[in-house]
Amino acid sequence: MAYQLYRNTTLGNSLQESLDELIQSQQIIPQLALQVLLQFDKAINSALAQTVRNRVNFRGSLNTYRFCDNVWTFVLNDVEFREVTELIKVDKVKIVACDGKNTGSNTTE
Amino acid sequence: MDQNNSLPPYAQGLASPQGAMTPGIPIFSPMMPYGTGLTPQPIQSSNSLSVLEEQQRQQQQQQQQQQQQQQQQQQQAAVAAVQQSTSQQATQGASGQTPQLFHSQTLTTAPLPGTTPLYPSPMTPMTPITPATPASESSGIVPQLQNIVSTVNLGCKLDLKTIALRARNAEYNPKRFAAVIMRIREPRTTALIFSSGKMVCTGAKSEEQSRLAARKYARVVQKLGFPAKFLDFKIQNMVGSCDVKFPISYEPELFPGLIYRMIKPRIVLLIFVSGKVVLTGAKVRAEIYEAFENIYPILKGFRKTT
Repeated sequence: MAYQLYRNTTLGNSLQESLDELIQSQQIIPQLALQVLLQFDKAINSALAQTVRNRVNFRGSLNTYRFCDNVWTFVLNDVEFREVTELIKVDKVKIVACDGKNTGSNTTE
Repeated sequence: MDQNNSLPPYAQGLASPQGAMTPGIPIFSPMMPYGTGLTPQPIQSSNSLSVLEEQQRQQQQQQQQQQQQQQQQQQQAAVAAVQQSTSQQATQGASGQTPQLFHSQTLTTAPLPGTTPLYPSPMTPMTPITPATPASESSGIVPQLQNIVSTVNLGCKLDLKTIALRARNAEYNPKRFAAVIMRIREPRTTALIFSSGKMVCTGAKSEEQSRLAARKYARVVQKLGFPAKFLDFKIQNMVGSCDVKFPISYEPELFPGLIYRMIKPRIVLLIFVSGKVVLTGAKVRAEIYEAFENIYPILKGFRKTT
């Protein structure tokens, strides 16, 4: 059973909104929407683990941390995300990280 | 007259200028021997005879006893002198005599009959006792406290999952360790909080900081809704370190640090070739200082001379 971690991402949220619209307009049943989301979980986990190859570094100051139920939650301030091609600066970033089976899987919000 | 300088400080007060005294008020009454029922009566014997008597007494006795008696005499004589002077003042007698009485205590009366020295302790030391100088000088180095471990009981059962989910800077991994590990930045410390309500606080650099930090953790727990109290705060261990500033010679191949278990106080010292010393196992700061003062002369003996 794959992590449902990625449902609260830009991609995942867009999917959920679309599914809700279809349910509203009676084009699909809620059970189908649930199945779609489960498939999304499998797909995104597999894609991040296997397909995505690029590497990003980030550095910032740690504001808070938490570890509970094997889930790490960090809040960093004044973070620089550095990829070979470009640099992105943010004031605040929240990182939620779950234990990866093969490699670490995480998402940023 | 020459005994004036040898007056102990407390008796010199009696020789203070007369202006300080009000006639009739027995301000030296505390000096009266209690319970003897005697008030010193000014002895009317002539001054010269008293002097002779005292001089004879001095020659007969040893110096300590002589001084003791002198003090007693002087004190009681001074008392009597006061009585004399006040009575003289009151009666407006020969005031010319009064300053004499204070300048030369020996001209006054003999020891009052029947009075026993009831103040042995101020009388016996003739010279101020100097504290015995230690055989070796103190090291002049003060160990610095590096870590204090303390415990406190919050007095109520805690739900660690709630604490871990809602508090900041907390870790909870029950599979590995059955406590929440929480940290605060000021004072920079780490706390282990157990479901029983007991807490361990580590990392502070002073006793007061340790207590303050423990209080801050207790407040965090309290704000999460638990009825936390602050019971039985106790410092369990203190670690200090210092540098003797000279190398020490022993067998460093066996172990990089020498472990010295001092019996009194019960402190463990780690002594390194570089001259750095780590002291641990103390419950109070004084034990660290005492242990270092004990080890310093020993270390000086093992100073590496090459």
